[in-house]
Amino acid sequence: MAAISQSRRTGSAVYWLYLMPGLIGFVLVVGLPFAMNVAISFTKWRGIGMPSFVGLANYDRLLGDAAFWSSMQHTLFFVVAMAVIPTILSLILAATLFDYVATQFGQGWSSFFRAGYYLPQILPVSAAGVLWSWILNPHGVLNLVLRGLGLEGSNWLGDPSYAIYAVMGVMVWIQIGYSLVVFMSGLGRVDPSLYEAARLDGAGAPQRFWYITIPMLRPEIAVIALTTTIAALKVFAPVFVLTNGGPDNSTIVPSYFSYTHFFATVRVGYGAAISTAQTAITILLGLMFLRLQTRKGDAR
Amino acid sequence: MKTFTRLALMLAATTALTTGAMAEGRTFKVWWYEPADSALGIAWDAALAKFKEAHPDVEVQFELKTFDQINQAGSLILNSSDAPDLMEYNKGNGTAGLVASQGLLAPLDEAYAQYGWDATLNEAALQLGRYDENGVFGSGPLYGIPNYGEFVSVFYNTDMLAAAGLSVPTTLAEFEAVMDAFVAQGVVPIAEAANDYPAQHLMYLLALSQATPEWVADFQGLKAELDPAPFLYAGQKLQEWVEKGYLSKDATGMKADDMAAQFTSGASPFVVTGTWYGANFGGIEGFTASQFLFPGNHLSAGSTGNIWVVPNGADNKDLAYEFISLTLSQDVQNLMGNSGGVPIAADPAQITDRIGSLETELFNQLVAQGGLGFYPDWPVPGFYNEVLQATQAVIGGTATPEEFAQRLKDAYDDGMSM
Amino acid sequence: MKKTGLTRWVVLGLLVGLLALMLAPIALAVINAVKTAADYAARGPMALPRSFDLSGLRDFWSHVNFPLKLWNSLLLSGCAAVFGVLLSLLNAYAIGIGRVRAGRGILVLILMGIMIPQESLVYPLYYLTKSVGLFDSLWSVIIIFTVLQAAFGTYLLASVLSEFPRELLEAARVDGANRWQILWQVVFPILRPTLAVLATFFFIWTWNEFLLPLVLLASNDHQTISVAMGVLSGQYVSDPTTTAAAALLGILPTLIFFLIFQRTLTRGITVGAVK
Repeated sequence: MAAISQSRRTGSAVYWLYLMPGLIGFVLVVGLPFAMNVAISFTKWRGIGMPSFVGLANYDRLLGDAAFWSSMQHTLFFVVAMAVIPTILSLILAATLFDYVATQFGQGWSSFFRAGYYLPQILPVSAAGVLWSWILNPHGVLNLVLRGLGLEGSNWLGDPSYAIYAVMGVMVWIQIGYSLVVFMSGLGRVDPSLYEAARLDGAGAPQRFWYITIPMLRPEIAVIALTTTIAALKVFAPVFVLTNGGPDNSTIVPSYFSYTHFFATVRVGYGAAISTAQTAITILLGLMFLRLQTRKGDAR
Repeated sequence: MKTFTRLALMLAATTALTTGAMAEGRTFKVWWYEPADSALGIAWDAALAKFKEAHPDVEVQFELKTFDQINQAGSLILNSSDAPDLMEYNKGNGTAGLVASQGLLAPLDEAYAQYGWDATLNEAALQLGRYDENGVFGSGPLYGIPNYGEFVSVFYNTDMLAAAGLSVPTTLAEFEAVMDAFVAQGVVPIAEAANDYPAQHLMYLLALSQATPEWVADFQGLKAELDPAPFLYAGQKLQEWVEKGYLSKDATGMKADDMAAQFTSGASPFVVTGTWYGANFGGIEGFTASQFLFPGNHLSAGSTGNIWVVPNGADNKDLAYEFISLTLSQDVQNLMGNSGGVPIAADPAQITDRIGSLETELFNQLVAQGGLGFYPDWPVPGFYNEVLQATQAVIGGTATPEEFAQRLKDAYDDGMSM
Repeated sequence: MKKTGLTRWVVLGLLVGLLALMLAPIALAVINAVKTAADYAARGPMALPRSFDLSGLRDFWSHVNFPLKLWNSLLLSGCAAVFGVLLSLLNAYAIGIGRVRAGRGILVLILMGIMIPQESLVYPLYYLTKSVGLFDSLWSVIIIFTVLQAAFGTYLLASVLSEFPRELLEAARVDGANRWQILWQVVFPILRPTLAVLATFFFIWTWNEFLLPLVLLASNDHQTISVAMGVLSGQYVSDPTTTAAAALLGILPTLIFFLIFQRTLTRGITVGAVK
């Protein structure tokens, strides 16, 4: 027993060599810049020239900034729109495509649908912004269709009570493809005979979904849940192109908020404080999540 | 010691040789970010062609940059060794002012006299080219040379006005009467976008209708805490106009493109926006567009345009100055006007383009009456977003005019103290 | 065994309906991409085109020197994809198979690469690249995206490799293979489909990156397509029809890339692919 753990430890040491390039890259591209960002957050600085040290003044301001707090709240909406809904929808879609379409209509159809659903992912956000503005503006496609159906249209992006849901809708549209592709590739390793056997045992589609698809995809679900949650916590570009955080700050998010200070007001110190706080929260959530994931993994 | 001297001499000789060689094959790097088919792009392209003709031995490296890049990374690029010899830069404290105060721009006072720019420009046109040691515009050395003008006015659909038997209003009351007539026909008179920059220009025009030049000087120069009375009036008017149907609440969900489409498709007879739309509106199919200054206003939102700046580290400052001279030359300025732009030093008689000549004339009129009120978002960095949101809120009815004015005042006073 | 015809068609109908919804915005882009500016101005974005005109696109092509930008984007995204996958593999091999001490801590550290909002890296990276003479160089951006993308890749591959069948590794070790050989002759072949998925993602994500290339690549000669698309919108006025056309043109390479890798995508991420 002792010998085994001994050999494992020496083995471990050699593996550090494999980690070296990654760690060096991390230090240079992420670690050092982040440390600099933290340092900047204690200064008043305009991006060029000499920063002047102001201690905790930026954080002090941050705590009292109502816009920051409402931006943190909106983050929850984006977690729903980017992590929760797309994950659930694409799980169902993946199962349907894999368990039903592929067997009933053939592999080609299932690939075709997957490619189609994935397309929004590859469209640059700036272009997506133009397209959705055509759709969601008060004289846009959506209202035209609704009125055609005899329904009331709405001012989707201009009314504070709708804007965040409109942006959420766009996010679901963008995000589905990503989780779908990951889930379908995960299903690729499932033996189709498993489904066949379950079918013969009389298991219906919901049962197969619940007892085969979900357990098989557990690692992918974890990966997707964590990465999309992280993406939601730092979402920026879609908000920027669709609403500029408005109307009435009803769609403002932390990244938009820090971006404004980094590049519009050029209060780089304050921007750095915002993003440091934001990163700290993200890391905290990430750690909690990873712990949960490992515990579940151990339990299995 | 002798060896050392000889070495130094050799080194000096080599340097001299290389610089000599470089002088023959010089490169001139110039950047701007006006789209190639815009009036400015067309005019400056012509200036560049002239430049190449005059300097066949100089290699010209022109790059068409994007507004985004220069707006967000301009200061960082100017702070590096990759800056060009000459570039178009955004006027204002947060951009040109910031880099000027950091010593990254070459002062142009000498060149201004030496190259005879003083013959075409006057001191009033240089306000946004001068920045003091804190980077605030209006005084201090000259760092930027303007080349064109811009202002916000009312574009209108001449066919719709004629069909309704209405004439161009000259006072605010007349303007409101004309709009009443359109509302009675079931038409929304003003195409507007409040999910973007245009609505704050209309808001500012309404505020300027109540403002004195002193108020503007104080407001733009951060001279005192904000006197919000004109903004309160603007907020009240916007609310009233929405209630009377002069503009739709729907504007809160519209972008500038959507607004332009509402006007160009003939759905609304008016749009209140800047001369940057002049070229587009000049070529509308289906009806003829024309423009008038905001009725009754002595002051309008407007200014001289973006400026030419010469980075302090530029290798070929003399070439940069020559190019600036070319862009200020009569031919180039006339071409700009004839392409639908607003030249700063053109001969109005030479401009045949309908919109271009109208814009030039109105701009000259504004300059002559001291009517350039600049823009509402300038004084405080980041004010833009605050004004945008507050204007959107008052149009959407989620903020009262009082709340609207208070929001602007809070943000302004806070920005002053930063 | 086949279901009744009705369910079949209902399911297919639903899927097609959803697909139509997903693709409607893109269809809108296609409709407007071929319009003249005047047609758009007169009838708005929703009308079917009455004109066919790609001159906006042609102008865009020549104004921004599209082939050069295409090459830059391909180089950047291609390198970031290949190097990013390689780096992820090495990291994950050490963490998932090597089980180095504090592996989870290191994983979290590396994950910071996707947790940190990019805008906070802009100023530091600007000063760092400038200090080593890599400002305005594609290579600095390639290195940056390689590391940032590898953060995601390391996480994904580490979770995959932690469930890698140990007996396979043992067998290889008994045969006398060293760790390097095991990585390339045992682990790599089995992971290949997953690596292809990763490479596809990295390629597409890097392709659409905007902020860092915008700031770090000052000169046009080094710029990418996503940044160059900015010339279509000025300070106040933008050109929606050409934007639509350019966007479609810009996604063609990523689309081709995706379609090529479609096949590998189906083969899957390999947690337990070894039977």
